[in-house]
Amino acid sequence: MRMNRFWRTTTIALFLAFMIIPVVATLAFSLSTRWDRSIFPEGMTTKWWQTVTERSAFKLTLKNSLVVSTVTALSLGVLVTPSVYWAHVRLPKSKSVFELMSAFSFGIPGVVLALSLLRFYSKVPIPLVNTPNILVAAFMVLCFPFMYRPVANALDSIDVKVLTEAAQSLGCGWWNTLFRVIIPNIMPGVISGCLLVFSTVFSEFTLTNLLVGSRFKTFPIYLVEFTRFDGRQASALAVISFVVAWVTSLLIIWIAGRRGKLLGGPVGGH
Amino acid sequence: MTTNSLMLRPRQKLFKIIFAWLALTPLFIFGISFQLIPMFTLLKSSLITKSGLTFEYFAKAFTPTILNSFGNSLKLSTTTAFLGVVLGSLVAMAIISSPKKVVRDALTALADVTTNFGGAPLAFAFIITLGSTGVITLILKAIGVNLYPEFRIYSITGLTIAYLYFQIPLMVLLIVPSLLGLKKEWWEAAINLGANTFKFWWHIGLPILGPSLMSSFLLLFANAFGAYATAWTLTGPDVNLVTVQIAALIRGEVQLQPELADALAVVSLLIMSFCVFGYIWLSSKANRGRA
Repeated sequence: MRMNRFWRTTTIALFLAFMIIPVVATLAFSLSTRWDRSIFPEGMTTKWWQTVTERSAFKLTLKNSLVVSTVTALSLGVLVTPSVYWAHVRLPKSKSVFELMSAFSFGIPGVVLALSLLRFYSKVPIPLVNTPNILVAAFMVLCFPFMYRPVANALDSIDVKVLTEAAQSLGCGWWNTLFRVIIPNIMPGVISGCLLVFSTVFSEFTLTNLLVGSRFKTFPIYLVEFTRFDGRQASALAVISFVVAWVTSLLIIWIAGRRGKLLGGPVGGH
Repeated sequence: MTTNSLMLRPRQKLFKIIFAWLALTPLFIFGISFQLIPMFTLLKSSLITKSGLTFEYFAKAFTPTILNSFGNSLKLSTTTAFLGVVLGSLVAMAIISSPKKVVRDALTALADVTTNFGGAPLAFAFIITLGSTGVITLILKAIGVNLYPEFRIYSITGLTIAYLYFQIPLMVLLIVPSLLGLKKEWWEAAINLGANTFKFWWHIGLPILGPSLMSSFLLLFANAFGAYATAWTLTGPDVNLVTVQIAALIRGEVQLQPELADALAVVSLLIMSFCVFGYIWLSSKANRGRA
């Protein structure tokens, strides 16, 4: 059942190479003067980084992405946390509703979600289509399980019922119990959920491209435009995306590690 | 009096239950307006015309191009899910066999981080690595191996490699708990009774892991089937996939009736639901076995 040393080392080495080479190559490419003729870069430069980060479109798209990621993460946190808490204490039956909503979020391909939202909301007189609002709504659907799962796991790991009863017997109302007792206890779960939503939205391309197109440009849209126009500057943008994803994931792992267990693995958004 | 209070009690209980469900109103409004209604709109417009229920749109939608896109999507999803399951399980076995905790934790963390990668940056990283003037392409060329023109990253083979970048780590995360559930004593007992490695896996290991492996396969399949951003950035319209077709219909690049896009969407939703519900069913079976 255990692998012997030779096979173990070989497998891990190949896995590491496959996972790391594309990222390192992208970073090296963004710092090279020219690297399409020889094995090694012909020289090193920070010129591409300077050029690309000085553009006004860079700052605008980065700002758009940061805003929409933060808004989505906070909205989902506010919507999901109290509901999951309520479900845990008062309505265990409703957990299947959460599970079903999570399954829906994972099961619907991004292109199909975009299509369904456009079909319905283009006929309704609500100012949603072609605005960043519909984008936030779509992201909330996409990321629902990423918020639900860590919060539910955190609630499972504490004794919610006892805490709630203790708080209420001391005269605490529902909201006070939630904000003063429960949320401080499940904070790591809530923060992990928010970070996961943040990083998913930050790199989201499909929904943005199909729902708002060029009317509201986010960072990934800007990156894809650049891949067809200037490879070196695009590689600098790709490195920024990688760094954002790495940093948020490592923060989540660090938070989970402090609690002594890894939270459920996320899926999706490719 | 007694009868009166007895009558009140179930009613109070009912009010309490109704109140409990009402507290979830924001969640229901969200789910109904952004999940249920839009999806029913799709279903309805793909199935119903002015003259009533019809499968006309489904029949019309299946042109040779569309059939080809389904073929490609199924092929890509099956290949990457299969390779993901096999390679991911091998990596997971290597990880849990490692004697050092630091190594195990670091590699699990790497899998956790990389499975969230995908989309545009990933596709672009692969162009830089394995494109026609990519880093690895140049190195291989220098030692006399010419990847091009037989191999192209901007093809379905290239997409397979790029998808494995998020499929393998996902499989690692999914299968590690099940592998840890295989007890060392079973292995020792089997070996003492005269089994070899192959016999152990054939008679004991694989039957126990079966449900986990199958459920992971379905999840990886769905993960690949619904993907769009990676494919679009890497190959543009060159590789004909279902998601690429639907996206083209949304952008109006292809002049067709909107109902045709809805029909395609409904068919892909059916495939996805099969995978997701199969995954849920099988993984509950796998968990029951472990408990």
